[in-house]
This record gives sequence, C-alpha cells and structure tokens, in this order.
Amino acid sequence: MTDTHFVIRTEGLTKVFGKVRALDGLDLTVHPGEVHGFLGPNGSGKSTTIRVLLGLMKATSGHAELFGGDPWRDAPRLHRRLAYVAGDVALWPALTGGECLDVLAATHGGVNGQRRADLIERFDLDPTKRVRDYSKGNRQKVVLIAALAADAELLVLDEPTSGLDPLMEQAFQQCIRDRREDGVTVLLSSHIMGEVEALADRVSIIRRGRTITSGTLADLRSSTRSAVHAVTVREPDGLAEAEGVADHQSERLDGGVDSRFTIDPDHLDSVIGVLHAAGIHTLTLTPPSLDALFLRNYGPPLGPDEAAADESLAEAPS
Amino acid sequence: MKPRHLGASPQPSGLGIMLRIVGRIQRRSALLWVLVLGGTMVGTAAGVAALYDTSAKIHTYAEAVTSGSALVAVNGKVEGIDSLGGVIQDEFGFMAAFLLPLLGIALVARATRREEESGRLEMLLGGRISRHEPTLAALLVATATIVATGVLFAVGLAVFGVPPAGSVLYALSLVGLAFVFAGLAAVLAQLAQHTRGVYLWSLMVLAASYVLRGVGDVSGTWVSWLSPLGWAEKAAPFGDLRWWALAIPLTVGLALGGAALWLAARRDLGSALIRGGAGPQRAATPLRSPIGLAAWIHRPAILGWFAGGALLTGTMGALSQQGLDAMAGNPAFAAAMGITNGRPLDGFVAAIQLYLAVIAAGYVVQAIGTLRAEEAAGRLETRLSGTLSRDRWLASHVLVVLGGLISIVLGSSLVLGLATALSAGDMAEFGPALGSGLDYLPAELVLAGLALAVYGLRPRLFAIAWAGYAVMTFIAFLGPGLKFPQWVLDISPTTHVGNPPAGTIQAGALTIMAAVALALMMIGFAAFRRRGVPQG
Repeated sequence: MTDTHFVIRTEGLTKVFGKVRALDGLDLTVHPGEVHGFLGPNGSGKSTTIRVLLGLMKATSGHAELFGGDPWRDAPRLHRRLAYVAGDVALWPALTGGECLDVLAATHGGVNGQRRADLIERFDLDPTKRVRDYSKGNRQKVVLIAALAADAELLVLDEPTSGLDPLMEQAFQQCIRDRREDGVTVLLSSHIMGEVEALADRVSIIRRGRTITSGTLADLRSSTRSAVHAVTVREPDGLAEAEGVADHQSERLDGGVDSRFTIDPDHLDSVIGVLHAAGIHTLTLTPPSLDALFLRNYGPPLGPDEAAADESLAEAPS
Repeated sequence: MKPRHLGASPQPSGLGIMLRIVGRIQRRSALLWVLVLGGTMVGTAAGVAALYDTSAKIHTYAEAVTSGSALVAVNGKVEGIDSLGGVIQDEFGFMAAFLLPLLGIALVARATRREEESGRLEMLLGGRISRHEPTLAALLVATATIVATGVLFAVGLAVFGVPPAGSVLYALSLVGLAFVFAGLAAVLAQLAQHTRGVYLWSLMVLAASYVLRGVGDVSGTWVSWLSPLGWAEKAAPFGDLRWWALAIPLTVGLALGGAALWLAARRDLGSALIRGGAGPQRAATPLRSPIGLAAWIHRPAILGWFAGGALLTGTMGALSQQGLDAMAGNPAFAAAMGITNGRPLDGFVAAIQLYLAVIAAGYVVQAIGTLRAEEAAGRLETRLSGTLSRDRWLASHVLVVLGGLISIVLGSSLVLGLATALSAGDMAEFGPALGSGLDYLPAELVLAGLALAVYGLRPRLFAIAWAGYAVMTFIAFLGPGLKFPQWVLDISPTTHVGNPPAGTIQAGALTIMAAVALALMMIGFAAFRRRGVPQG
C-alpha cells in the first residue's frame, strides 16, 4: 500500500454526511512534480476530497493515500511535507499579517525565511496590519505566502486566488511555476480555467463527488471536438456528410464559402484534405478550451461559434 | 402610485424588512432569554411563596436581611421588604442585577455590531435600508423581548399572591433596567469596532452601576440614584410605589437609543472611535507554540472573569465584619444566608465561595465554547493542516483553560482571604478563605468535562453545556435560601463539595467528581480524535 510513485491517490472514495453523498466513488491520482488541476462545479466535493486527504475528515469508504500513508492515522507526520491553503481564509483578526505568517509557519515542516521576505515583497503585503483591517484579497495573500514560503513537497491549494487582482494572479502563477521548478507537487483546486490552463500538467474534473475525466490537457483535448472555421474558394465537396463532422453551417460570402463545424480528432486529417481541395482562403482551428471541456461535461453542448468565442486566438490567414 | 406585483401585498418599508430580519436572527435566542428569565423569576416566586407562607416568617426574614449592610450591598436595599413581594425582590435582586442588563446588552449587540463586523450589514445597506434602520430594528426587537419578559414577571408574581400593582411596578422597573442597557449597548455598538468591545464596555458600566448602587444603599445616600440598578430599586414596588421613578430609565433609555440612531445615521459603515493601529511584523516566540497561541486566545476571557470574581470576593470580603455583626445581632440573618451551623464568619465565606464557584464554572464553559468558535470560523482547519496533531491542539487549549480556571479561583480566593482577614482584623481567616476556593475545583472541573465532552461529540449541541451551567447556577443561588428538596440540590456538583469552610469537606465526593470530570474529558478527547473537522 505504500506506493510512493503517487503523491496523492484515492480510489472509490465516498463520504456521506447524513443523507448527502458528498463523495461518491472519487478517484484522483497526483504524480510527483506535477501541477494537478482539480476542477468541479460548486458543491461537487472538491473541498471534502481535500479534507479527507488532509485527515480532517474520515472517508465513509474507499481508499485515500497521501505520500503513500494513511492521512487519517498519520495526519501530523504527513503534514510535515505539505502546505495547505483552505478554501475559506480564516485567520485571527487581532493578529497582524506578519504574526499570522509566523503562527502558520510554526506548524509547517520548515520555512524558507528568504522566500518569505521575497514573497511579502512580490505580493506587496503590509505585514504590520491587523488581519481584521485587511481586505479579502490581502487576507488571501497571507495564507498564500505562508504556503509558498513553506519548505513543502506538496502544496494543496483550495481556490487559492479568490479575491486576488489580475496583477497578483500573475504573481501567483509565476510563484507556482517557480515552485514546480523546485520539484514541488501542486494540487490546485480552482474555478479559474485560465489559471488551470496556464499551470496544470494534468487535470481531474469531478461532478457530484465522482471523477468524470482525468488526464493531461492534451489528452483531454484530443478526445474532444475542435471547432473549425474555414473560408474556401469553392464549396468543399461533401463536407457536411464527411465522417466526424458535426454542427455544420455554411454560407456564401463575397465569392468564397464560409464553413463552420466541429470535428473529432480522428477525422481531422481527412477533413483538412477536403478543405484543401476546395482552396483554403482562411482556416482557424480552435482546440477545445478548458472552459469548453468543463462546460461540455456539465452544461448543454456547445455550438462551434460558442466554442470559438471562448478562445482568444486571433484568426490567422493561412 | 408605486408599481405593485399582482396580488402581492404592498412592499414593506426598509424598517419593516429590517424588523423581519432581526426578528428572524433573534427568534431563538430571544425566546430562550424570555423563558429562562421568566422561569427563574416564577421559580423564585414559587419558592419564596411556599417557604414564607405566614407574615411572621416574612417578618423574621425581613429583620434578618436588614440587620447589617452585607446583604444590602449584595442584593440591594429593598423597600417594603416586610411583604411577600419584598422577599421575592430581595431573593431575586442579585440575579436580576446581572441578568436583565445582560438581556438588553446581548439582544442589541448581536443584532448591531456583530452583523456589521461580519459584513452582513454592508449587504443589507446596499439594498434599500437606511443607515439607522438596522439599529432601530435591533432596539425595537430588543424592547419587545424585554417587555415580553416583563409581562411574564408580572403575571408570575401575581399568580403567587403578590399584589397586582406591586407586581406590575416591579416588572416595569426591571423592564426599565434592561431597556437602559439595551440603549447603552446600541450607543457602544456605534463606537466600538468589535462585538467583544460592546460587551466589555457595557459590562464595565454594569459593574460600576453595581458598585454605585451598593455604596449608595449601604451608606443610605443619594449615590444609588446615579446607578440604573438604583433607579429600578427606587421604584419601591412593594414600598411607596413610586411610579414616577420609571420615567428615569425610560428617559435615559430613549436618549441613549436616540443617540445611537443619530450616530448610526451619520457615521461611516465599519467605522469606530476605538480601533487598533499597526502591529508587530513578526510573531513573538510564545505565539508560535500551540500553548502560547491558546494562551493568547484565552487571555482576555481569563482577565475578564477574574475581574468579576475579584470584584465580588473583594467587595463581600470587605463587608464580612458587618455581616458578622448582623449575625451576632440576629440569628435569623444567618439562616437567610443559608448558614445554619458552625462559625458565622465561616458560613459567610462559604456563601461567597459558592458564588465564586458559579463564576469560575461560567468561565470554563465559555472558554471551551471558544474552541467551537475557532472551529466554526475555520481556523481549526488551518491549524490542523500542519504538523500539529488534534490531541496536541486540544490538550494545549485544555491546559490553558484549566490554568485560567485555577488562576481565577486562586486569585479571587486570595482577594477574598485578604479582604476577609483585614475586615475581621484577624489574619487567621486568610487560610480557610483561600483554601475553600480550591475545594470547589473538582465541581468546576465537572462542568469543564461536560463542556469538553459535548464539544468532542457534537459541537453543534454546545447549548447542553450552558444548560448544565444554568441548572447549577440556579441551584447554587436559590437552592439553600428556598430550601429545595435534597435530590434537587444533589443535581448540582457544588452541593457535593460540602460547603467549606463552614461545613466538612467531602473528600470522597471530591475524588468522585474529579474522576467524573476526568472521564468526561477523556470522552471529549476520544470523540474529537474521531470526528470530522470542521463541524459548525
């Protein structure tokens, strides 16, 4: 049971609160050195999973493993190797930010003093202010700095950037990249798709306490349809009926033909051939964004326009 | 004409909305207050009526408590004490002096500064609520609750044969007392930045009022008229029936309420006169250890409860010689204090120690309740996500709480010993007065154990610990005076201590209580180890 190949591993994890099944057979695997995006809508069980992994709650059934150990039995020992940012920031209102950093640091395995000072500067935090006088974003900075300054092998971050401004969000992303360079593993539960997309090596998406999909972003993308927008000189021959094409729309546009459709990855090559035969004027291929992946798993299916609108890539003439 | 939804009632005003919100928030606590206060009053009235069922007995009681000034200082100077109502007023006097002001303070503080501090008020003021309306709604709901309590008081008294006019006036005088403190809390809620500050400053005013009333009553001077507690007393519901005296609390309460509304309408949201500045950049070394942080969290409560204990023991200890004189002059006085055998001074000290035990037990329950607050606020989760184990976290807090308990008991008993020895002019009184405080520790530990067990098992049901405390307080304060049956007295752990230094200490009972306390604490630890965190 002590497979240290995984930093975190859960199998068929369930947690029942009274009549509510918060976790319903959740599987999650986090490898050493990766940034793992942990996605799911509100109330899908992300925080409960993290609490089970930290030994704060006991799973009703299933298997949860942290550094190859049992988090419920060995919490304090295993916690030596990690730092945690809780979803709701709770600090002592009468302490200053600097005092809170030290109080939090005292329960970490070790803290890098230089990094602490650098982070305070990077996040532009005034450590002499009382917590009760901080804004929400500044309170968030305190717990982030505490976690990032810790000499931890694993960072467990539950929606860590709520309340941060875009500038601080940038600083946060850079810090996570720096920590990954150092070989730190990160479990990043988040709602901000751009953040996960920018940072995560692998992603797990959960819904109602169950893992829906898990893998690298490339894996997830390759299993999902891309949106295609092409303007061709002639009408592409048999495009609407071609295998793998869906949501096809076409109109004549000053001399050209404007086609929009989605295509599954296996048939991309043959369809590009069809387009090429029709004389490509412009071609935009939009890989599914994480938003699209997310919405596909939770929301109504997306049309090609919507999928394309998610993407910020400018249309490039071919 | 305003647009209306089809079939909907007209839109309520901002005040109407606020009243509903405050009413909804306060519903449960207000009901609890009314029932507990009404029950206590009716219980007192029933007990007194059963015990003093002839005018001869009432006369003896009156003779007893008016000889000497010790009881006058504690319970107040009751005019017309030679009547059933007078006896009830005297018996209820000490509790009324604290519970009714606290009723007003708690109802208002909860609905004003606490809501502002939490940020919920900001949300409401973002809607169509005017700045002064939350305070107004809090005052109105508090007043309604206070009046409801008063109605229960008046009816309860009348049922047990107290003259209706006196019953109504007495109830109204207590209503006025609570009303003044509700107004005071409303003003302080505008000035202090935190709910804790509102309580602290209000209770300091209450303590000052109590001292002023005591000084005025003992010296028989106008000083009593400076105290809200004095105003209630001077209405003399069972003496001269001074209805006009009700105008004082009414005027002062309205003025305070008006001032609070005036301030609320003009000040910035979240602003305060008293606020802290910048602080240290690094945490002091003690703060970094679990015990140090626990000590820092519990320190204000320890100091507050110690101040209360020392005030009580110091005042009463200083009056012990007067109490002694009174007992020498009138044996019935001793009976009224629940002192039936042994040296009178020992009996006097024993009565004070019982009061101190109630204070100490209150501290313990409140302090363990703080753990629940740490958990509900989410700070426990953060604490436990590091290398700190659950056992160490809980053990540090329990150690600090027990250290606080011992400090409060020892410190207050020290004050009592010194005050008594100085008053009696005999240093030999110091030892027994000090030691008897420590004898109560096992009884107080039982309450600590109860609170810890509830916290470990079901923190949501922490009210059970407070209910246990309320039962203990009721029995300790009223049991001996009202001659409850033994099985009722036996419910309270304080009964089993043996009333030191007057009575013999029950060493066996103390051991059993310590064992019960230990067992309860172990249940608390074991349950806390097993349950999920956080649980509100």
